[in-house]
Amino acid sequence: MAAPTGTDASLAAKPDETSSQSTTSPNSSPSARKLPPPESRESLLLRRLSILSFWVLVLFVGLPIWLKTTAIYRAELPLQEMTDWAEGKVCKPVFPLRIAVEAPVSIPDAHHLLRTTQHALDDINDFSAHHLRLMLADSPLQSNASQQVITDGTGIMSNDRDVALAIRLIPVETGTTPRSHLQPYTPMLDVYYSPNQIPSQSSTGSTLATFLAQELHNIFAEEQAQLVHLLSASSGAHAAKIKALSPETSAELQRQSTRVLKYAPTYHLTFSLFTPSYAPSAWDIETALQSYMSPLLDAFSAISNFTVDTQVQLYATFAPSIHQPEYDEEKKTWILHKEDLSGFVNAAEWPLSPSIGEGPTVNFILYVPDRTQSPLLIKENAGNSWLIPQWGGVHILNLQGEPDTPSALTADMLAPAMHTFSNQLISLFGLPQSPASLPLRLSTLERVRAASLIFSASSTLGALAQVYQKLPSIPVPDNVAQSTHRTIAHLQQACDFLRDGRFPSALEHARSAEVEAEKAFFERSMVGQVYFPDEHKVAVYLPLLGPIAVPLIMAALKELKSVFKRG
Amino acid sequence: MAIDTRQAIDTRQAMDTRHKVLLFGAAAAVRLLLFTVFPALPDLLAGRVDVSTPVTSFKRLQEGVFLYTHNVSPYDGGVYHQAPLLLPLFSLLPNPAHAPLATNVFYTAVDLASAHALAQVADSGFASVTPWFASPRRHLRWSSAAIAAGFLFNPFTIATCLARSTSALTNLAILTAMAKASQGASFTFILAAAFAAYMAMHPILLFPPLTILLYHARTRNSKTTPSVSPFVISHTLGFCTAIAALLTGSAFLTRSWDFLSATYGVRLLLPDLTPNVGLWWYFFIEMFDSFRDFFLAVFWLHAASYMPGLTIRLHKQPLFVACTLTGVFAIFTPYPSIADAALYLSLVPMFRHLFPLMRYTFLASASILYTSFLGPAFYHLWIYAGSGNANFFYAITLVWSLGLSVILGDSLYAALRDELDVERPELRDKEVRRI
Repeated sequence: MAAPTGTDASLAAKPDETSSQSTTSPNSSPSARKLPPPESRESLLLRRLSILSFWVLVLFVGLPIWLKTTAIYRAELPLQEMTDWAEGKVCKPVFPLRIAVEAPVSIPDAHHLLRTTQHALDDINDFSAHHLRLMLADSPLQSNASQQVITDGTGIMSNDRDVALAIRLIPVETGTTPRSHLQPYTPMLDVYYSPNQIPSQSSTGSTLATFLAQELHNIFAEEQAQLVHLLSASSGAHAAKIKALSPETSAELQRQSTRVLKYAPTYHLTFSLFTPSYAPSAWDIETALQSYMSPLLDAFSAISNFTVDTQVQLYATFAPSIHQPEYDEEKKTWILHKEDLSGFVNAAEWPLSPSIGEGPTVNFILYVPDRTQSPLLIKENAGNSWLIPQWGGVHILNLQGEPDTPSALTADMLAPAMHTFSNQLISLFGLPQSPASLPLRLSTLERVRAASLIFSASSTLGALAQVYQKLPSIPVPDNVAQSTHRTIAHLQQACDFLRDGRFPSALEHARSAEVEAEKAFFERSMVGQVYFPDEHKVAVYLPLLGPIAVPLIMAALKELKSVFKRG
Repeated sequence: MAIDTRQAIDTRQAMDTRHKVLLFGAAAAVRLLLFTVFPALPDLLAGRVDVSTPVTSFKRLQEGVFLYTHNVSPYDGGVYHQAPLLLPLFSLLPNPAHAPLATNVFYTAVDLASAHALAQVADSGFASVTPWFASPRRHLRWSSAAIAAGFLFNPFTIATCLARSTSALTNLAILTAMAKASQGASFTFILAAAFAAYMAMHPILLFPPLTILLYHARTRNSKTTPSVSPFVISHTLGFCTAIAALLTGSAFLTRSWDFLSATYGVRLLLPDLTPNVGLWWYFFIEMFDSFRDFFLAVFWLHAASYMPGLTIRLHKQPLFVACTLTGVFAIFTPYPSIADAALYLSLVPMFRHLFPLMRYTFLASASILYTSFLGPAFYHLWIYAGSGNANFFYAITLVWSLGLSVILGDSLYAALRDELDVERPELRDKEVRRI
């Protein structure tokens, strides 16, 4: 490179002090060889000006450009707040559940019943974060009393969506009392009692109150266990205060949680029909899904969204590695061994692509065996369906009544398979086994999901704060900061709603918080320079800038030296 | 006596004119002959990376003209990166695919006009004599016809002409600006310099030294020195106005300002990393993305930083500064081609008086010749034969740039040594050493 040395390379000379135009007399010839005469003022000025011009460019153009183009932009993050969330200092999740009680008795009596029941309930409960609060509901029968009930602040409408459970006290004359009935499709517990079981104002206990407390405790036992398991697993801060679960319960919950799909805002369901021959080649899946699956998916829609697709695959063979079905002479059935079930799904050849839509895919496989191999059952329990943890479920459809495999399956034929699939989906989705009421189980799942999402979003925030502090060389764009702020806002709201017992809203905010937290943490542009230590910068800068800088600096030093010598 | 001298001068001029006519005729004949005898040659050369760059290629120009004549914005395809004003000019010419003659004649005429401008510069004598400086070796010079011949029969110039690269037009604008500056014609100088800057952007750096040249020419023509600041201000303003007019005209023509990013943006930011004979492409292929902006700035700053230093140091020889800057452009701009080298190598012979002072002529000419032959060969090995890789071609471009740099540095040394001889006549022909 013709470096700047070129410009001052020639100042080889030792011109006389006088200007070049005037006639100079070289009189000091012997000493001139040894001691160079000073340069003319003009050439000195020229040289300094040209050196200066390079330096002006470097300092006033080059330097700002360097600062501007290599600056790493790091948006401000609320680090302390993020760490606090991750350590669980900000939000201690509590679950105050509202139980509305409709009692067809006088107000003072009802209040007394509530008080005694609450006492009994608090005595049994040993998990303080999960708290059942009884409230006197405004029964539609007692419209005259409603005004007063609401104004005293403890009353509540029994059809409010924030009420976890409504208890309806029904006086009866016959049958054993008290007895209860949990309605399967509404969050409603009917309790039948004989009127004399209402505790009198003076008494401190009653069989009805004890019965109610015990009943409620049983209903929410599994939910409590799940929440305890979750709290102890996710944060050390809470674990100390929480009672330990029995090892069996713990193991059972652990088993359940390994089966359950990881939470996602959207799941993709794939229903596939596999058959080893040419038939059936059609199925009325749309109608079947409409009537058997849609109600369930609608019920789940508060927690996650679902997309659905279906496919039919003919001539689908088993993987050669598993045992082919054997014929059992005794039972006149074809049997599969339990240990072969893991290889039943021929992952290599069956087109079950892992992610079609957004979110994880859940596969449901309907296998219709060939006429010659029907009925096909599992040897150990003669069952025909099984669940594959975190992946999906399989159902073998044996068409017994038909003389030949029909070319199309009607919605009625699909009914048993659809029932199996909905059960499998419920398990995969993490819905608790008890109580028997579906709305109650859904609201339990809502609370568990809200809590787990709050924990996961908080820990993501903590991880982001750590990354921010540990890696000072990564750029942090503004949208990461915005996402972080939004996450914290959503978390705070979720936590507040949780404390107020408004669980659907809490879940909604926890979901948004999780989405924003993931977006902030997995920002693409942050990872570009993670593995770029400062030493590498030497290798980037030196090869080009070194050779340019050396003549520039040397020339500047020489000039400065001569200036000081003169001065 | 006086009549005799005038007669002698007249006969010489007549001789000169005859020489020039012969020379220009021969050059035009060579070009047109090559165009007609080898009809495939222009397209072959137009596809060569060392002749056509993304910002000068004739193929891309045709694409732009096609879009322009079909009323689509020529910059929409992301292929065309040249000045918008070229489009109406080339849309006037018949389609070169069917009737190439008009285009061929046009490019031949452009080369002849360039040679004419170069001859005018050489005739002005500013290479060795200016009002403030006269080289002690000024009697050493070649005739303008010889210098024009050096340009016209330079294989690089001929290849550029055959490839119909638009850098031929840029060269014409630069040479015309030099010629007009050396004749003291302000208006045409400003116009030509503005055209050069408008078409290739970096020639804007030639404006300061050429303005000084114009000032020298004015001084010599009128025997009085015009006052400096009004001169500088008026010419700078004129230059800015001319460029603004050209840009506004372009915006009017394409009905948007998109052409700025498609032409000057491409030259500045180097989005197209097609190989060329320069040093940038390989470097920026290997560059870490986060440092790309910084090194773009460094490379541009490096290329531009020579102008102020050289202009200040050698303000007595502005033509030499301008010539040296064209050499800098041939090495350090993002999309150089052999056309830029052809311009520089044609300007160097004007400084015949410096040749005795140059020390590395053999090294320089050898490396230029060596790379001229090996460059295409290595490119072929890399791209077509597949038996080489990018380093083959990059190594050759390094040697090519080294050769040009040696000429550049050596001529610079010679020019400074020459100035020293004026300052200190007693040191003439003596060994000097830098202290």
